[in-house]
Amino acid sequence: MPNKTIYLDYAAATPLDSNVLAAMQPYLTDIFYNPSAPYQPAREVRVDIENTRASVARTIGAKPTEIIFTAGATESINLAFNIDGHVITTQTEHAAVLQAAKLHSGSTFVGVNEKGRVDPRDIKKSITPQTTLVSVGLVNNETGTAQDIKAVAKVISDERQNRVKNDNPTPIYLHTDVSQAVGILDINVARLGVDMMTLNGAKIYGPKQTGVLYLNSSIDLQPIIAGGGQERGLRSGTENVANIIGLGMAIEVAERKRKTEVERLQKIRLQLLGILQESFDELIVIGDQKHNSPHILTVAWPGLDAERILFALESQDILVATGSACAANKDTRSHVLTAMGLEPDIIDGSLRFSFGRPTTTQDIGTAAKIIVETIKQERDRGTRIRQ
Amino acid sequence: MSAAKVYVGMSGGVDSSLTAALLVEQGYDVTGVYMKNWTRDLPGMKCPWADDLADAKRVAVQLGIDFKVFDFQNEYKQKVVDYMIDEYKTGRTPNPDIMCNQEVKFKLFLDAAIEDGADMIATGHYAQVENGVLKRAVDDNKDQTYFLYRVTHMALEKTLFPLGGMTKPQVRTEAEKRNLFTATKKESMGICFVGSVGIREFLSQYVTTKPGAIIDIQTKQQVGQHDGAIFFTLGQRHGLNIGGGLPYYVVGKDMDKNEVYVTRDLNNEQLWRREVELSDLHLINQKPDEGKKLQVRMRHRAPLIDAELSGNKLILNEPQRAIASGQSAVLYDGQVVLGGGIIF
Repeated sequence: MPNKTIYLDYAAATPLDSNVLAAMQPYLTDIFYNPSAPYQPAREVRVDIENTRASVARTIGAKPTEIIFTAGATESINLAFNIDGHVITTQTEHAAVLQAAKLHSGSTFVGVNEKGRVDPRDIKKSITPQTTLVSVGLVNNETGTAQDIKAVAKVISDERQNRVKNDNPTPIYLHTDVSQAVGILDINVARLGVDMMTLNGAKIYGPKQTGVLYLNSSIDLQPIIAGGGQERGLRSGTENVANIIGLGMAIEVAERKRKTEVERLQKIRLQLLGILQESFDELIVIGDQKHNSPHILTVAWPGLDAERILFALESQDILVATGSACAANKDTRSHVLTAMGLEPDIIDGSLRFSFGRPTTTQDIGTAAKIIVETIKQERDRGTRIRQ
Repeated sequence: MSAAKVYVGMSGGVDSSLTAALLVEQGYDVTGVYMKNWTRDLPGMKCPWADDLADAKRVAVQLGIDFKVFDFQNEYKQKVVDYMIDEYKTGRTPNPDIMCNQEVKFKLFLDAAIEDGADMIATGHYAQVENGVLKRAVDDNKDQTYFLYRVTHMALEKTLFPLGGMTKPQVRTEAEKRNLFTATKKESMGICFVGSVGIREFLSQYVTTKPGAIIDIQTKQQVGQHDGAIFFTLGQRHGLNIGGGLPYYVVGKDMDKNEVYVTRDLNNEQLWRREVELSDLHLINQKPDEGKKLQVRMRHRAPLIDAELSGNKLILNEPQRAIASGQSAVLYDGQVVLGGGIIF
C-alpha cells in the first residue's frame, strides 16, 4: 500500500500485526515439523499449538478442548451449521451464514428493524420443537450494528427449560459470528451465553484463512473435512502451524489493546461523522447508533452514486466501501441494508468507512476534507440506467 | 454556444477510454455509456460483466463525465445472438460483430443516445468518418471497417471515431500519458458473449447436434465422423479428427443429410471461387459504377483483393479459396469503404 494511501476499509481486511508476523516467521522456515510426528522437535511444535489453543480459550472463557482451529470464519460457520434440524438466523448475516443456513431446508431468516437490530422475541416466535441451531452475528460487517446476544441466549435457555418440561430431547444451540467484534466487544462465551462462536483472523491483523470455532464440549458435530483426525476429528489436515500461531497472537494482541483501542476508534468515528453531518444536511446515518462497533461508520446520501465516489476517492488515495458491489445490478445491492428496509436510492448512495489500528485522527482530518469536496462535486452526477 | 453533446460507448477497454478522454479534451460535452449486452450466466459468476462496467465507470469518474448504463440485453439476444445461432443452423458462417454494429451500436445505441439528448455518438473503433463517408483507419493492423460496413450513412453522419487516425501503440501511449485506469488492460479476444469456452461449446448449448459422416468428395468414401455439420466451415482444415496422411479440407456440407464433404486436393474446384453472389447488399453512399475497379475483403484483416461489382455479383480478379457463405464481403475503393454484402 503506498504510504500516502488512507485506507478506510478495515472491516474488509487488515494488515498483519508486526507481533503476529514475528510470531509466525520461525514456523514458516525452521520449525516446520509435522506436529503429529513422534520426535522431539515435532512434539515441541505440538506444545506450541496447544499453548496457543489454551491462550485462545482463556481469552474467550472456554476450555482448550473447545477450540477448533479452522481455515477461516467461513469454514467455522459451515462446520457450526453441519447439524441436523431446523435452523434460525437473521436476514442481515454475512453471506457465509446465509448460505450455510440455506443448505438446510426450511430455515428461518428473521427480519430486523430499521436500525438493523433483531428483536429476540421474533427469534423466540420462530423456534419450533425441531429447532437445533440459532445463529446471530454479534457485529454486522456492513453497519457495525451490534445485536443483543445475551437476550437471544436467554430465549435459548428458556426454550431448553421448555423442552425439559415437554420431554423434548432435541438439543438447541446458539452460534454467534464475532468476526467483526474481536478486540472491540466482550467475546466471553459464558457472559454472552453462546454454545458456538466463530472468530476470524483476517479481520484482526492476523493471517487470512484463519479462524476458530468455539464449540461447547457438550455438542456433537459432524466434520465437513474427513482425514487424519486432527482438531478432535472435526477439522482434519496437518495443522497450519504458522497460521495457528499467528491467529493466537492476533487474538492476544487484540484483547490486550481492546480498551484503549475502543476509546480511540470511538473518537475517530465521531470525528468523521461530525464533519460529514456538518457538511451535508441530507446525510443519513445507517445502523443503530447506541449499539454498535466504533470501527464502522456507514452513512448515505440519498440519490448519490456511491460507486462513483468510491472511484473518485480511490484516485485520491482514499479506499472505502459501498453498499452495492456491482452498479446497475440490483441483485448485488446490499442484502443487509435491504433487510433494514432502506430505499434503493439510499442503499446506492451509501458508503462504509471502517477504521483500524493504523488510522489516526490526522488521517481522518485529511480524508474528511477530500470526501466532502468529492461528494459535493459528484452529488449531481447519478448513474442512470435506461431499460 | 454550448458544446456538442457526445455519448461515448465505453466498454471498459483502453480504446473506448481514450476515445472519451480525447473528446473531453476536444471540448465536447461527453457522457459515457456502458451498453449492457446479453451474456450467458456462467455458474458461480453472478455478474460476469461487472469488471468491465466498473472499469468504464472508473474512467468516467476520472474524466469527470456523466456515466449511464443502457440495457440492451433483450435486443442484443434477439438481433445478434439468435441471428448467429440461426445462421449456423442453416449451415452458414455468420459474423456477429457486424450484426452488433449494425443493430446495436449504430442503431439502438444511437437512437437511445439521441433521444436522451445527445447530438452525436462516438466509439473506440479504428475507422475514420468524414461527412458520412467511412474510411479505413490509419493503423492497417487494427482497421475495423470490415465490421462497420453495414452502418448507415445517416448513422455515420452522427458518429465520431477519434481513434481512426492513431495506431494501437499510440493509443496505449496516450492512455498511459493520461494515467487512464485501463491503459494497460489486456485486449479482449473473441466474441464477447461466447466467452472463453469457444464457439463450438457455445453452439452445442443451443443447437442439438448429431454425429455424421465425413465424406471424401472424390472417392465418395466415408473417411471419418464429425460431431455436427454445424461446426464446420468451408476451407477448414483442422478439427476433422481424421488422422494420418495429407490434410483434408472442407469443401461443402449438407445440413439435411448432416454430411461434411472434404478433399485432399487443394486445387479442388469446389474450394475455389471467382464469382461470388452477394445478398443483403448494403452501400453506404452511392452504388459504384458498373465495371469499376474495387477491392474486396472477405475476412477481417484479410488482404484486399481486386474485384468488380456487377449487379449483386462480385467478380474477383483471381479465384479465391475458402469463401464461406454467411461471411461478409466488404468493398473498398482505396481508403473508402463502399459497403458490402453477405456471401450467398
